[in-house]
Amino acid sequence: MITSMIGIALKAFLILLYATFVGFMFMGIIRIVTARIHRRVGPPIYQPILDTIKLLSKKSNITHGLIYDFGVLYALGATILALMFIPLGSISILRAYGDLILITFLLEIPMLGIMFAAMSSGNPWAGLGSQRALLTLLAVQVPLGFAIVALAEFYDTFSTYQIVMAQQTAGWSITYLPLLLAAVAYDIVLQAMFGKEPFDIMIAPGEISLGPMVEFGGKHMGILQIQHAIALFAETLFFSNIFLGGAVVTAFASSILNTLASLGILLIKQLAVLLIAIFIGAIFPRFTIDQAARFYWKWPTIIAAAGAILAAL
Amino acid sequence: MINELMIIIFTPLITGVIAWLLDIKGLREGISILGAAVPLAYLIQAHQTLTSQPSIQYSIVISGFKFEFLLYHLSWIFAMIAGVVGFAAVLGMASTTKDSYEWLFALMSLTGVYGIFLADDLISFFIFWEIMTFGSFMMVLKYNRKASLKYFLLSVLGAYSMLLAIGILYAKVGALDFTTIQQTLYQDAMRGVLGTNTLLSRNDMLLIFGLFLIAFGVKAGMFPLHVWAPDAYSETNQSYTAMFSGVLSKAGVYGMLVIYILLGTRLMYQFGRIGAAPKFGYVIAFLGGITIIVGGLLAALQEDIRKLFAYSSISQVGYILVGIGVGSALSIEAAIYHAISHALFKGLFFLIVATIVLRTGKTEFKDMGGLAEKMPITFAMTFVAILSLAGIPPLVGFASKWLLFEAVIHENMPILGGMIFFGSAIGFVYLIRFTYAVWFGQRPTDLDDTKDTPIPLAIAMGILALLNVVFGIAPGLVATELNKIFGKEIIKGTIWELNIGFGRYNGLLITIWLVTGIVIAGIIYFLGAKVRRVPVTDTYQGGNPVTMEYNLTIRRNFFLPLKETLAFWLRISFDRLYQDIGRWVEDLAETLRNYIYNGNVQAYAWYLAIILLILALWGV
Repeated sequence: MITSMIGIALKAFLILLYATFVGFMFMGIIRIVTARIHRRVGPPIYQPILDTIKLLSKKSNITHGLIYDFGVLYALGATILALMFIPLGSISILRAYGDLILITFLLEIPMLGIMFAAMSSGNPWAGLGSQRALLTLLAVQVPLGFAIVALAEFYDTFSTYQIVMAQQTAGWSITYLPLLLAAVAYDIVLQAMFGKEPFDIMIAPGEISLGPMVEFGGKHMGILQIQHAIALFAETLFFSNIFLGGAVVTAFASSILNTLASLGILLIKQLAVLLIAIFIGAIFPRFTIDQAARFYWKWPTIIAAAGAILAAL
Repeated sequence: MINELMIIIFTPLITGVIAWLLDIKGLREGISILGAAVPLAYLIQAHQTLTSQPSIQYSIVISGFKFEFLLYHLSWIFAMIAGVVGFAAVLGMASTTKDSYEWLFALMSLTGVYGIFLADDLISFFIFWEIMTFGSFMMVLKYNRKASLKYFLLSVLGAYSMLLAIGILYAKVGALDFTTIQQTLYQDAMRGVLGTNTLLSRNDMLLIFGLFLIAFGVKAGMFPLHVWAPDAYSETNQSYTAMFSGVLSKAGVYGMLVIYILLGTRLMYQFGRIGAAPKFGYVIAFLGGITIIVGGLLAALQEDIRKLFAYSSISQVGYILVGIGVGSALSIEAAIYHAISHALFKGLFFLIVATIVLRTGKTEFKDMGGLAEKMPITFAMTFVAILSLAGIPPLVGFASKWLLFEAVIHENMPILGGMIFFGSAIGFVYLIRFTYAVWFGQRPTDLDDTKDTPIPLAIAMGILALLNVVFGIAPGLVATELNKIFGKEIIKGTIWELNIGFGRYNGLLITIWLVTGIVIAGIIYFLGAKVRRVPVTDTYQGGNPVTMEYNLTIRRNFFLPLKETLAFWLRISFDRLYQDIGRWVEDLAETLRNYIYNGNVQAYAWYLAIILLILALWGV
């Protein structure tokens, strides 16, 4: 009992460490790739880690009250919670409970914590940014919902792990037409979930000074950087799992080698998802919020709904 | 012979009358709270009885009519919703009610609700339905005549529809008690399957179903019959609205279940299925889905706290209707689960609104702000309520919504699935707007000496908040009771876990890991340097120093971009349509008065002569 609990704790710690590290690398990659597209050199890949260490070690921190502190902690806590439910090769802890609906919700609620903290500061930019973030959420929810419905109806289960296992024998989800449509819609949704252009109106640097993030500094911002890294990892991981086949390698005799190989395959898939988002983000200008809502309620919704209806037939 | 069912039903009314007659401050509150507590105590005791016997019965014959009452698992669950939320609302009313008039009618409507849930024949069902409607109508009438008339008109429409449907059923079946009707219609369906002539024709069934749908749809606030709810919910004592929205709307939901119980088999035989759902249920579900979206979007655009939650109520009842409409055992259980959680969190929300209105005397967002510091207890309750309504694990709102999502999507209903997904996001949207405008940001100076909640309201909120948490972390508690309705284990799992085969949810596990996550975040937080508290004016404003003279908060038209995006759709309003019809009827009456009923005796004499002439020509 005790040993198994220690084992779980150790595993959770390793997953967390890995996710944070890879997440920060992703943040570095985003900056480098964007810079190269802009024909700049860009910062070194570990720059986000340095930034975060700097933020965490600030001597002077300010707060706007209890909710301001708690919202930030809640955001990171909820992101860690979400991470634990997503299958990561064969080592994730709560994958038996990795329910599609649950994970979809869990990936959204850290934003709620950030908004609570941001709004409690009373900064008007934070209020405006939260409003835009909420409307973006509302806009993406329709195609996102249809994509999840398509998945659940196609596989007749809500367990992410079972969906991954089904793909090991039947091939990737995106090789089937209904799920390909769902994947396309979900990928467009992912663009907004990452907060990348053309759907970055909620942070809109230079216009509303990063919106919800405007008031954070010091260790609050440091924690939110870590949260962002883990969220980036978790969102790409979720997509790779449900649409790109995940990874369950059993080719080697040693379980450690199997795990490493699975992580490697997943990493490649995650990178692919990330790069698509970066390329789209680097090319398109920003949509206003009503344009974004009208866009999401039109094409991605039609695509995803078509997928869901085809999957239901 | 007095049975415990009679005590449960009539105690609120009797204590209400006593409180009204005595009208002594302090005493009337005590008596009324007792009046709400006694039925609750009896219901809790009845749970014990129901484990040994399937139901508790009572019947009484008054002037040839036999009134029958029955308490079994389904009605027990609904009666418990009424008991708990009714008790909390009455406690809240002890803080917000100024005169005994309100006690009388609030408790009268509680009696009505109990009567509806326990009735076992259509006559008692109808009578208590009217008692409930009358009590709640009087509660609204005291605050706003126009809102109450709108409520009254639609309720009358519902009542006539129900009466007609009951009449048709009685004419065909010849009985009014639920058991006979159920059996007769079941046999009728069997007759239809065998190919012999059926008692009721297709049109009869269509008519009865349509009439019941109108009757119950009005009370549940189903689109497009929801127009009374935003006005009626907001224009009354807000503690009472906790009951009005939390419990009375459930009478409509219960009515939909009664349709299933009485007419289900017959309707299914007559109209068949769409996919997995019965066709008649799909009508309910689809209207429920539209209700979610319309209610939610309008909630986001309101400028009044009470209106926001009134629309939110409509939206949430939509979920319940979707669950009932899909009609599988699992989805009906999920719908009832959501009915429970809706009553818990919406009851809590309206008590919070009652506190805010009581302490600030204001209801509009533009006058609010920064109250979290002044009302910490109320804000803590709000926090629970928000997480629960928004469907954040591990609160009850998530457990029930999760169950509903999976139940609906599992039946291969993609369109309904998309609708409920949209509904959950719109919930986030209007809740954050409420949080921002009322609790956070800059505080108007006239709210600087706002006091926190009075004790009775605090206790009432505490009860509901506690249940919101408990039923979320231990969803098995509710699931066990729900399984008893169907007499088999539809939702498996332990006290902490819901297991429906194709999905699993464990409330305790989520709580543990969420706490772990927050602790990890907390460790990082406390390793950092100390924090310094700064006032609201000390924020980033592009280097511009601000004082309290500046307006820092967006209080009005918060979701203006949404309004602009939806501009086309917002022009369509059923409320306006009904008002236009009303005006048209008034115009017609005016025309008739001018030309026909003109008050001229000579003219009336002419009418008489003409009619006599026509009759004579006819040869009568």
